[in-house]
Amino acid sequence: MERARRGDEDAYEQLVREHQGIAFRTAYVIAGNASDAEEAAQEAFVKAYRALGRFRPGSPFRPWLLRIVANEARNRRRSAGRRAALSLRASAEETSGGAAPSPEGVVLAGEDRERLLEAVNGLREEERLVIACRFFLELSEEETAAALDVRLGTVKSRTSRALEHLRETYG
Amino acid sequence: MAELETALRQLGGELDFPQTPDLASAIRRRLERPAPLWRRPVAIVLAVLMVAAIAAVLAVPQSRSAILDWLGLRHVSVVRVEKLPVVPANGGLGLGHRITLDEAKRRAPWLLLPDGDPDSVWVNESIPGGKVSLVWGTPSHVRLLLTELSGRAYIEKIIDGGTEVERVKIGTAGAWFQGPHVVMFQDRDGRFHDTQARLARNTLVWQQGGVTLRLEGGLSKAEALRIARTAS
Repeated sequence: MERARRGDEDAYEQLVREHQGIAFRTAYVIAGNASDAEEAAQEAFVKAYRALGRFRPGSPFRPWLLRIVANEARNRRRSAGRRAALSLRASAEETSGGAAPSPEGVVLAGEDRERLLEAVNGLREEERLVIACRFFLELSEEETAAALDVRLGTVKSRTSRALEHLRETYG
Repeated sequence: MAELETALRQLGGELDFPQTPDLASAIRRRLERPAPLWRRPVAIVLAVLMVAAIAAVLAVPQSRSAILDWLGLRHVSVVRVEKLPVVPANGGLGLGHRITLDEAKRRAPWLLLPDGDPDSVWVNESIPGGKVSLVWGTPSHVRLLLTELSGRAYIEKIIDGGTEVERVKIGTAGAWFQGPHVVMFQDRDGRFHDTQARLARNTLVWQQGGVTLRLEGGLSKAEALRIARTAS
């Protein structure tokens, strides 16, 4: 990080490699399609590089980066006038009968998975995004707040509201 | 409680995200390139789009053409007058005749639907391309009215000093009308009829693709935008 701040491009490339997955997926969740997400993430990394001088050493890089990424993704979504429909598809392969149970001991059957995903996709945009950030992307509350450009308290209240709504529809 | 959260995390692991592109290499190439970003046409287009998307509260320009340019709404004309003409507040909604939602989707494939089904759906064929209205509440007591027109139709809005107009970030172009104003729709002959004019409440007008949408009700700007952003 320190080397990247001093303008070392190799070091920055390494930093990009470490974070490109989460950056791209966050942009995808917000922009709603892969090409806008790629463009947004790329632009964000370039902007972040140029803004590294203003980055406070010692503070976490991920929320700082995700704020820039999400902002780029929102700009693209708005300027293109598209709805940020998160048309996530569950992976094709069904959970087979012989699959090992997950550590939590909860294995969602294919049908339940479809139903839960449908319930998430049916949420209001702001609630869908908070669920996607917190549970699908597994961002921390701080990172979610940065990505959605809201306060930490808002992330907490929105998450619990969204979970409540999911319980109502998903049961 | 924790079960749902666990199920969501598990679902997250099984979602079909597109593969992450090799951003690191692309960025490396961009950083090595000396040309500044703003010289690139793509960047310029994006910059222009972003500037256009920035919501700004501005004084409404006086001349009609200036208003049109300013709002960027191609199928809406806004006329500023000293004092609004006297028209019925609730009369002449001009909904047309009632149809089912499925029929509306068939007749108007361009129709955009917000979250939550309307209580009734109406079509008025006298408007070019057909005007589809989604009504929440009853026709005599409309809580929320979403009117949609295909690219061929025009809306005229008459405003006076008591109407605030603000450009908003929604679709390709959008405007929020706060306070009373007169609304009219152009018929197939290209005329705006005084008899069809009525006084409207707070209204959000926006364009999305080739569709012009108009959302009216006792809504705040934030509520209207929230509903509008669910339309797809």
